[in-house]
Amino acid sequence: MSVLEGTIIYSNLLVLLSIGLTMTYITTAVPNFAQGSFAVFGSYIALTLLRLYGIHPYASLPVAFVLGGALGVLIYTLVLKPLISRGAEVVILMIATLAVDLILLGVIGAYSGYLEVISRKGAKKFIFTPYDFTINGLSAIFVVSIVVISIILIALYILLFKTKFGVAMRASMENPPLAEIMGVNVEHTRLFSWLLSGALAAVAGVLLPFRQEIVPSTGGIIIVSIFASSIVGGLGSIFGALLGGYIIGTSESFITFKLSTVFGSSILVYSRVVSLIVLVITLILAPKGLASVKWRNLKWVKNFLS
Amino acid sequence: MGQEFLILNIIIWIGFYLIVCLSLNIEYGFGGIPNFGRALAVLMGAIAVGGIVNRILMILFGISGQIVDASGAVKTTTNDIISQNPVIGVILLLVWLLVAAILGAGTGALFILPSAKLSEDYLAITLLAISEVTFLVSYYNPEIIGGYYGVSVPNVLAFIPGEQRLFAFAFLIVSVAVFVYILVNRMLNSPYGRLLKAMRENENVVKAYGKDIMKIRIKTVAVGSSIAALAGALYSMYSVNVIATNFSRVEWTFYPFLMILLGGLGNTKGVVVGVISFVTARILLITYKFEIVEVLNLPFDPVWLEYILFGFVMLLILIYKPEGLIKEKPIMTGPIKKLLKEKS
Repeated sequence: MSVLEGTIIYSNLLVLLSIGLTMTYITTAVPNFAQGSFAVFGSYIALTLLRLYGIHPYASLPVAFVLGGALGVLIYTLVLKPLISRGAEVVILMIATLAVDLILLGVIGAYSGYLEVISRKGAKKFIFTPYDFTINGLSAIFVVSIVVISIILIALYILLFKTKFGVAMRASMENPPLAEIMGVNVEHTRLFSWLLSGALAAVAGVLLPFRQEIVPSTGGIIIVSIFASSIVGGLGSIFGALLGGYIIGTSESFITFKLSTVFGSSILVYSRVVSLIVLVITLILAPKGLASVKWRNLKWVKNFLS
Repeated sequence: MGQEFLILNIIIWIGFYLIVCLSLNIEYGFGGIPNFGRALAVLMGAIAVGGIVNRILMILFGISGQIVDASGAVKTTTNDIISQNPVIGVILLLVWLLVAAILGAGTGALFILPSAKLSEDYLAITLLAISEVTFLVSYYNPEIIGGYYGVSVPNVLAFIPGEQRLFAFAFLIVSVAVFVYILVNRMLNSPYGRLLKAMRENENVVKAYGKDIMKIRIKTVAVGSSIAALAGALYSMYSVNVIATNFSRVEWTFYPFLMILLGGLGNTKGVVVGVISFVTARILLITYKFEIVEVLNLPFDPVWLEYILFGFVMLLILIYKPEGLIKEKPIMTGPIKKLLKEKS
């Protein structure tokens, strides 16, 4: 797998994760710290199907989509909805998602031990690369991740911009009280965003083991990259998540690789430092993310255009 | 001995967590600053001991080489000296705590700077990210505190015979915790404590009275972080080595939040109650984990049980008892007491 290929695969997966994070942030106003563990949940669904039934991870994508969505809905209705209805502050909601993350970590870790017992194979640490194949000289994960991201982006575009539900959803994202007055059920849009967020994260989770090793605590590590992607793009914009995913994905894989050719391979472990630096710089220059910048109003862009 | 050891263990952990939770309570409970990066300050305390003071000792003893190996030599040499001369041990302990406090304060003051431009939620994410990345770097880079090998730390109680050392250590940590408690209590009962509460409730009002919010925040997080760094230094001393994995987000950020929310935000008594009940439950759970697994017939490692259990406890507190075990009370200043007396 070439570096460029790896970068694109990783960026595609980050986009899937950060779109989910951004959607739930827009509708429920809570940054979800459990997003990384949602992905690991998907990874373990794929592993279970592979170990117990011999189903190839790519074939388990639909199952992961459905179960991931169910997880998202469950978390929203059991944890966040009661807290929101009681008027909890955003920090309390964030602590609640941290607690959810810890529970998921515990459940996934416990399950990995259980899976080892029933499948008699290691499950605490795994990677799917041996199961990958090539399509016309390209690795299958490259093709699959591009197909998946295209389908999801197109479906999301049609849903949000071409259907009545999408209009209602965008309205309740932009101004919930006003949308409620117009007869939109804000509760439905919230529920739907959590469903989609969980589903997309689980799909990303199925594909992630093709690129890196998964352990139960992987979620806590990739969450930094997911947040970096969403924030760099702007937590309030789905387009921003798309942009941010590619920026962070590129800086973590490609830029870190280029740096390693200069400073030596020991720098490769610092890929997340690179994304943190990108995050901090963005926050200083554009605290609401790149999508919020009014590019046309910037002086040098104006001069450039005229 | 088993029972004795269990009680000592509980006391020692109450000491560590009391220090960290008091510091977090200043920042989040009183000041409303969502410091999701508490673990960073604790790690800084460990870096002060394992990374900075160890290097100073290396220079003093003329030991050269990589920190991982050299720290072992430093440890043996220093332990020999301390077992002959207890005063050196006390001095070394004070140096550790001082360096940890200074490093903690410096890091805290720098680390909160992004809050000038960020709203609450963005700030919490940024602080968590900074803390997490520092954790990863100190784990991967063997130059700082030995990476995944860790570094050795001299035992400042080397002059005390082996079996009594744990008692002495428990006494030491409890005295530091009590000292911190008195200090924090006095600080928060001063006008500064009321200023913090005012900032938590409404920043604009504080601004209108001519206070600089940013200055208050920097001061608060610097003080909080230097206190939390003390716990990191004491913890490295307890485990006689420093390794980054001991300073995870769950143990030093999530659990402290759990304890102060359990006890009740914004009051120091609540912190004590929260810490004592959490630590007792946790240590009992850890001590009897194999028995629990056997009784319940669980097919997995009991460490996961701890995560699931405390995650649920946190959710239950947030949903059913958001004010905690002890409710926050208004600060009784002289004039308020007088007013209440006149009324009754």
